[in-house]
Amino acid sequence: MNRSNIKVLVLTGDGINCEEETANAFREHGVQPRIIHIQDLIEKPTLLTEAHILALPGGFSFGDEIGSGQILALKLKYSLGEALTTFIKDGKLIIGICNGFQALVRLGLLPKPFTQREMTLTHNRQGHFINRWVDLTIPQSKCVWTNTLYGLTINLPIRHGEGKIVFAGDKASQDKIYESLLEQGQIALTYKEDINGSSFKIAGVSDPSGRILGLMPHPEAATSEWLNPSGGEKSGQIGIGSKIFESGIQFCETNF
Amino acid sequence: MSLIYRFEIYPDIHHLEGSATREKSLKDWIAQYENREIKNIWEIKYFQIEAEQPIANILTIAREVFTDSVVEVMISSLELEQSSQIDLWLEKKNFQKPCLIDISFRPGVTDNSALASLEALHCIPELKTISMKVSSGMMIYIESTHPMISLQLEGLAYEKFANKLLHKVTITTHSELSHKKRLQNLTFPAVSIIAEKAKVINLDVEISQLEKMNNDNCWALSLDEIQFIQSYYKKLSRSPTDVEMEVIAQSWSEHCKHKIFSSEITYSESQLPPGVKSIGEFTVKGIFKNFIRGATLKIQEERKIPWLISIFHDNAGIVRFDDVLDICIKVETHNSPSALDPYGGALTGILGVNRDILGVGLGAKPIANTNVFCLAENQYFEENKISIPLLLKNPDRIKEGVHLGVQDGGNKSGIPTVNGAFVFDRDFVGKPLVFCGTVGVIPQVENGKVTHEKGQRPGDLIVMAGGRIGKDGIHGATFSSMELVDGVPTSVVQIGDPITQKRLGDFLIEARTLGLFNSVTDNGAGGLSSSVGEMSQLTNGAHVDLEKALIKYPGLSPFELMVSESQERMTFSVAPKKIKLFLDLAHKRSVEASVIGEFNNSGFLSIFYEGESVGNIDLHFLHESLLPMKLKSHFDPTHMAPHWIKQTIKKPRLPLKAQKFDLEKILLELFRSPNIRSHENYIRRYDHEVKAATIVKPFTGTKEVGFSAPSDAGVIWMKPHGGGADNSIAIACGLCPKVSKFDTYLMAEYAVDEAVRNAICVGANPDEMVLVDNYCWPDPISSARNPDAEYKLAQLVRASKALYDISLDYGMPFVSGKDSMKNDFIGINEFQETIKISVPPTLLVTALGRVPSISMIRTSEIKKESELLYLIGENLIQFQSAFELGELYEDYQVQYPLPQLNPKSQIEIYRKIHLALKDKLIESSHDISDGGLLLALAEKMMGTTLGIKISIDLPEKEWINFLFNESAGRILVTVNPKNQKAFEQILHGAPLMLLGETTSSGHLVVKSNRVEILNVSGVVCMKNYKCQVGEI
Repeated sequence: MNRSNIKVLVLTGDGINCEEETANAFREHGVQPRIIHIQDLIEKPTLLTEAHILALPGGFSFGDEIGSGQILALKLKYSLGEALTTFIKDGKLIIGICNGFQALVRLGLLPKPFTQREMTLTHNRQGHFINRWVDLTIPQSKCVWTNTLYGLTINLPIRHGEGKIVFAGDKASQDKIYESLLEQGQIALTYKEDINGSSFKIAGVSDPSGRILGLMPHPEAATSEWLNPSGGEKSGQIGIGSKIFESGIQFCETNF
Repeated sequence: MSLIYRFEIYPDIHHLEGSATREKSLKDWIAQYENREIKNIWEIKYFQIEAEQPIANILTIAREVFTDSVVEVMISSLELEQSSQIDLWLEKKNFQKPCLIDISFRPGVTDNSALASLEALHCIPELKTISMKVSSGMMIYIESTHPMISLQLEGLAYEKFANKLLHKVTITTHSELSHKKRLQNLTFPAVSIIAEKAKVINLDVEISQLEKMNNDNCWALSLDEIQFIQSYYKKLSRSPTDVEMEVIAQSWSEHCKHKIFSSEITYSESQLPPGVKSIGEFTVKGIFKNFIRGATLKIQEERKIPWLISIFHDNAGIVRFDDVLDICIKVETHNSPSALDPYGGALTGILGVNRDILGVGLGAKPIANTNVFCLAENQYFEENKISIPLLLKNPDRIKEGVHLGVQDGGNKSGIPTVNGAFVFDRDFVGKPLVFCGTVGVIPQVENGKVTHEKGQRPGDLIVMAGGRIGKDGIHGATFSSMELVDGVPTSVVQIGDPITQKRLGDFLIEARTLGLFNSVTDNGAGGLSSSVGEMSQLTNGAHVDLEKALIKYPGLSPFELMVSESQERMTFSVAPKKIKLFLDLAHKRSVEASVIGEFNNSGFLSIFYEGESVGNIDLHFLHESLLPMKLKSHFDPTHMAPHWIKQTIKKPRLPLKAQKFDLEKILLELFRSPNIRSHENYIRRYDHEVKAATIVKPFTGTKEVGFSAPSDAGVIWMKPHGGGADNSIAIACGLCPKVSKFDTYLMAEYAVDEAVRNAICVGANPDEMVLVDNYCWPDPISSARNPDAEYKLAQLVRASKALYDISLDYGMPFVSGKDSMKNDFIGINEFQETIKISVPPTLLVTALGRVPSISMIRTSEIKKESELLYLIGENLIQFQSAFELGELYEDYQVQYPLPQLNPKSQIEIYRKIHLALKDKLIESSHDISDGGLLLALAEKMMGTTLGIKISIDLPEKEWINFLFNESAGRILVTVNPKNQKAFEQILHGAPLMLLGETTSSGHLVVKSNRVEILNVSGVVCMKNYKCQVGEI
């Protein structure tokens, strides 16, 4: 389908913060994103049926109380559970960035939708929030959001306090979960160095279909080289973060 | 009979080590500050639910809501037999004889976790209609090498984990610890207070009685003011009600009314040290009116500036530095609340100034925060064996608290913290200064209306929205106008609730876009009395029904409803025909709102409670009748009161190497000093780029060195906010309290220039720049406890006169400002003597400037090798003004005369630099401030792997002056050799010195008369600069 017909819903409300820049990141590629308040979507779940991409932006939904993404996940599960299930079963795309990733994980949609949860995101090893630009490697995977970046090392900002990926069970069980993700091509981004204590330095994972991506770094904050952290590397070029949105859009163009 | 359930959240057996870093840092903290070795410590969060009836299925529900099933398990009061599990885990974590500290909130204190949990529970379909309450708390299992008794545990809890004003601490020692027992004996924090009826206050009494009432009621009025009220009510032939007295006291508080800045002050001077500028003898009828607003109006007229849109009369200043958007700025302080509760004080400080932006014009959207902390460091007192006076908090704990407050306030609101500073001085131990600033944007026109004008009309409904009213924050405005002494009522402390405010802010912008209200203002100091009081001035009257305001718990008296400063509230003026849409949208956005009255044109603020009149105040009397105070000031530096620290501080001598000054040692020592060293570990905990518009971030440099070099200013791109695609604004700050003891006139000039200079460095246009002033002064009003008030007031006059002079010369108007005038602590020292600790007179200047094109933005670090390095500014060799060296070394003293600034020629230099930036002739620019030239050079270099070599060719006795003197107006730039001619041509007439060039060596090399006098690597500089940063 033509990209101008691709419909993107960007969720907002209840403490989500990054809806504007997430919408901008889509808009710059010629699609028409709509920022929608959770409550409005609950009232009109058909919007989800009509959409091709759902974006859960970063932020501090519900103040990150209890656990980051936890209450947003509960709200989505009990108010939009059915619509979301259909959305996923229809093969539509979801991207969850930072708090959005945390919510997808708490919802049980990542790493494997509709199965017992076995992965979570918890407090960074350092025990606090960190904002810095970090190097990430993009392994070959099933993820449709990173497929134009396979094999590259890219620099993106992280801004989180709870980005450490942890797997369930004892060491053997944790290793097994990791190996399964690896085998299924679900590891979408890894930190080049240990940044926050995340297991196997994972920074982003996708579901087995590659259509649902959750990642801790913020590609929407790296869509222009003016936003690069080094004074010497600022320019009018498009930023590397843009590629992730472009990849998702390309997938829709080809497949819907 | 209600039921209490308790749910404790533990990590599961495989993830017991998940909090190891936190536990280690707690142990280290306790070892450092409490001198106690802790074997084991473990924090566990818990929740309690109180319900009228048993809740079906509660275990499954609680497990889903409160735990993360992947790594956590829950122990509850419903499964007592499970509690033996806890002992197993404790054993696994090597505890042998754990004690338990339980920290819960005192009744009525905002408990954000509990509020969020309640919302989470209400997501569950079967709980939607069930009425229940939630509380949260923290348990700390602890075991020290030497057993601790209850009292010691309690002391530790209040030192590190809890605040007496907010928390209840319960200790269970090892011998008493039974998990089963404690899970059976549950209590739930409950507020039980009884409302008092409004009462009449008899002012027809003796003076001593008036003064007693003034103290007892925390009115903080002067005797003159009370007597003025007394005679006013005599004329009315009635007595005021308590509600009226409270409203008057709030409105006339120093915090709200700025009485010192409006007073008539005579100024005289004597014994001026060499070089200190005489400003003559005069009387100024209002510092604000004459010096601050006076300068702005004059500049506006002289320069015919079209971009000053709204100044001084609203919650923030508004300027037009964009084609589509208007930009507003406000900076506030929250010093006294931060002294009592550092976390809550700073959090409500940042959320409060955000609301100022939300409440400017028809409501602007915050897009950037700034924050400046002036603090003391425990290390100083420890090293010099000075006891911190009783009642004062450990300054490091204050630092942790205020930092976390600003972090949570900014991050959770989705507003980037783009600029700020840490300033340290031992005299900030009595009161920390916490400055919080916010920049916002608003479309110039919306729904066919200009957005900078408020439009409340008689007949509009008064709507209070956001948080509910509780006892918190009662008397905040009057309290901040008082000295900090023992026995403060606990209600002055408030905890912020970022999520409630975020929803309120989002709702406000949405409602504004839809045109659902006519006016808005925030409820800050003074609560409803201030917000409704101020808004009703425009319509000339209001009617308020206090019982309609939403409350946190019953039992609030009418006056409390009127003046409570419970947070996250804004007051709207809504036309009756729009009220339904307004309230419906609020409900949909989870924002609580209630109609509490109506604006009218009666000339009175009429206050009712359950139908009965509890106050009826003439607005003219309330806002216009107070006569200015008459004060005297005299500047004589020999009349300073003695310092509270009597002992001499031991310092080393300037280091030598082969009989010459050891420049490397001095430089590295400077890098490690509190006012220079990196605070990156703190700053990187602020989100500085949410909204994806921060072009220049707090740190810069290359990836190889971790983007760790300091930036001069923050730059925000307007495009992501809907403004010009090539447009951006720079935000910078300047403050130099260390200069105040020499001369506050110079201090103020330095502060302005530092802010401006920083903004110039990143590319801001000096002809499109505005300033914000924030004064934090020691009490300048004479009293028995304040013998040198005339001197402090004279310092205030001098600083203000300097602001006037320099802003005229720079042509930069002030658009907003604030003053905090009682930054003193009176207490008892270790010898049982009464002492007073006053902050150094501090003036924070924030500069906001337009960067006309993003391609001209420059950062501080050098970019390439073989580029020319210039000093723009004087060499200062005839002065002795290395302030930071004076702090470090015994044999170095700063001496008068100090380097003066010549604002008239300085602004021309800035215009030239701006032209050179515009023509892309400058590759990097960095201001020279604390530490002087050599330090600035090293900073420019160490952000990269490149090097710098310079030649100074001076005799050794002048090295120190040249390399370390501090002043204003100086900038270092690098220039590509191909642009040398063009650059020098543009800078013609400015003091310009070609110092040397950049190299690939990674070293800073200084030669004098061909002899190498310094060779230090960037890596070593960075290591010393980051000496206290640790892992990010």
